[in-house]
Amino acid sequence: MVKLRDAAQAYKALNGLICVYKPPCVPLRRVQHTVITNLCRDLNALPDRLLESRVEIVGATNEPMSVRLVQNYADHRLASGPRYLHEDFRCSWAAHLGLFSSGVLLLGINDGTRLTYKINTSRLIRAYKIHGQLGKATDTYFWNGKTIERATYNHITREKIDSVVAHMQAAHQKTMYELSGVHMESETAYELASRGVIRPSNGKLPVLYGIKCVHFQPPNFTLEVQAINEYDRYLWTLVHDLGVQLKTAAHCAGVQCVRHGKFHTDLALLRKHWTLEHLLENMQQCQELLDDNQRLLRPETAMLTA
Amino acid sequence: MSGGLPKSMFRRNTWITYKCLYQYCRNMSVATSGVVKYEDPGLHPSTGHEDPGIRPSSGNKDLSSVTPHFPNAFNIAAYVNSSETLKKLIDLNVDLSKIEKKPYVAVKLLKLDFEKDMKEHIIFLLDHITDPNLLGPFITKNPLIFNESIIDLEVRVNYLVSKRFSKNQINQIVTKNPYWLNFSTMRIDRRLGFHQDHFKLTGDEVRQLTVTQPKIITYNLQHIKTNSFAIREEMGFDDKEIKALLLKKPKLWLMNQISLLHRFNLIHNELGISHKTILQYPQILECRKFRIKQRHSFLEKLGRAQYDPTKENFVPIMALAEGTDTDFCKKYAKCSVSDYNLFLKTL
Repeated sequence: MVKLRDAAQAYKALNGLICVYKPPCVPLRRVQHTVITNLCRDLNALPDRLLESRVEIVGATNEPMSVRLVQNYADHRLASGPRYLHEDFRCSWAAHLGLFSSGVLLLGINDGTRLTYKINTSRLIRAYKIHGQLGKATDTYFWNGKTIERATYNHITREKIDSVVAHMQAAHQKTMYELSGVHMESETAYELASRGVIRPSNGKLPVLYGIKCVHFQPPNFTLEVQAINEYDRYLWTLVHDLGVQLKTAAHCAGVQCVRHGKFHTDLALLRKHWTLEHLLENMQQCQELLDDNQRLLRPETAMLTA
Repeated sequence: MSGGLPKSMFRRNTWITYKCLYQYCRNMSVATSGVVKYEDPGLHPSTGHEDPGIRPSSGNKDLSSVTPHFPNAFNIAAYVNSSETLKKLIDLNVDLSKIEKKPYVAVKLLKLDFEKDMKEHIIFLLDHITDPNLLGPFITKNPLIFNESIIDLEVRVNYLVSKRFSKNQINQIVTKNPYWLNFSTMRIDRRLGFHQDHFKLTGDEVRQLTVTQPKIITYNLQHIKTNSFAIREEMGFDDKEIKALLLKKPKLWLMNQISLLHRFNLIHNELGISHKTILQYPQILECRKFRIKQRHSFLEKLGRAQYDPTKENFVPIMALAEGTDTDFCKKYAKCSVSDYNLFLKTL
């Protein structure tokens, strides 16, 4: 833990990546705003630097003038305002999380904005827990939408949901190889597969690597999904499609990002811990994680150019 | 920019435009004679050949009163060093950086002179606030107090005396609501009347309300009406309960109506807390919604969400709003904080 002597030192240390836990129903912009506001508040509460002094040359000009050193009032906190403001911080996110999604969120502060760009372009795999509910379908595919269909779900068993989910995963993997443009039973396809997962080269195409049902207690169930380039609405439709394939109706009750690359929820800071000390500590942990895993920013796997 | 450097004076967005620089230069002792002397602001002192007195060649004249013009600035800090008034205000702990956020107020403040326009007001205010240390925050909040005449201020205080407020109560009112003294007695009288009518209060109750929350009297009356509607019609409190609620927590009437309703909805409909209990602990409506919701869902998960005092394992409703998470976990959830934090990461 860094010992904070004064605000200037703390501000200089604030360059890097932080990992926070985004609560549901709070927009990403507000998360950014709260983090920066808290940083400003804590920095302004730290001991300030010494006030600047000011040289004044006074007296009549036709006689010897006197030089005095006086306090510079313009530098006073009450005149020039708080030392640290919102505009002093740059802040960007590595991957967007929708309003209703929660979970691991990587934010870059000041020079860390470069890191978030790198993480974004290296297309790390994100793992999600998607909570769904059977028996009801909505127009937005999410719990807040209007109900458009109701259905019974007594015939759904764990085996059925597992088989449908496995089928969905296979279909996604198949399209991944098809989009790569090589024949499925060729030597090239084998070599491509042996180099690891195929990553999409641009940020447009959602690719799912694994879907698994981890919790099933009708009508509630939870899916665990590993994906790249997904977005909240895409995950909602996944639950809706699952409902259709199971011959019932389903809607999504919540989306939670549990992992982003190597950043897990245990590293993520809760809302009550978004303070200068905790954020600095978290920034250090994130930097250590990045140093230990150089491949996070430079993945060496096949790129999917579709 | 690096952290420790002073904020540049030109960072703020507020642009204080001074159409006439002479007006505020009145109180800048160094600049006064220089500016008055040269009526054309474009004329630089050293090039003013019309007046032989200030030619550079005439070395035996005192030129200390000649100064360049003040340029337009983005903030008040640019003028602080050359104005005794502003220096004194800073010594009084007045936050000029907050005042300059409202340029029309800042322009008015710059035109004032400490000895002439402020001294009497400050002496008057020191008599009427509870703690002298609060003078700075008071002026920060309401610098326009200097534009009111001292006779008016006395009349406004005397009005409160005539309404049988004690000296101590008047001080509390003035301290809690710095804008109070800017309202004329007519307006204050009308507003006190409005609240008495609207909530059917007796004289003593009006006095109690005014002292506990003087802001409600000078607040936007439409807002008060909207919140009354929300509390009466949407939340379903009856007139007697509203009166009790008002005297206990007048702040509810200053809050945003929609967020208040959301909170009430959570507490009453989801947690099942009755109107009577809410009336007993109206502070619960001041607590942020997510805090109550998080703690409630944690207790629910543990099977401890039991808010009925007649049954066993009773959790008081204020436990959801008050205290740190550590205390809450130890006393009511009977587990460690790390468990609670883990739970929060599953939401």
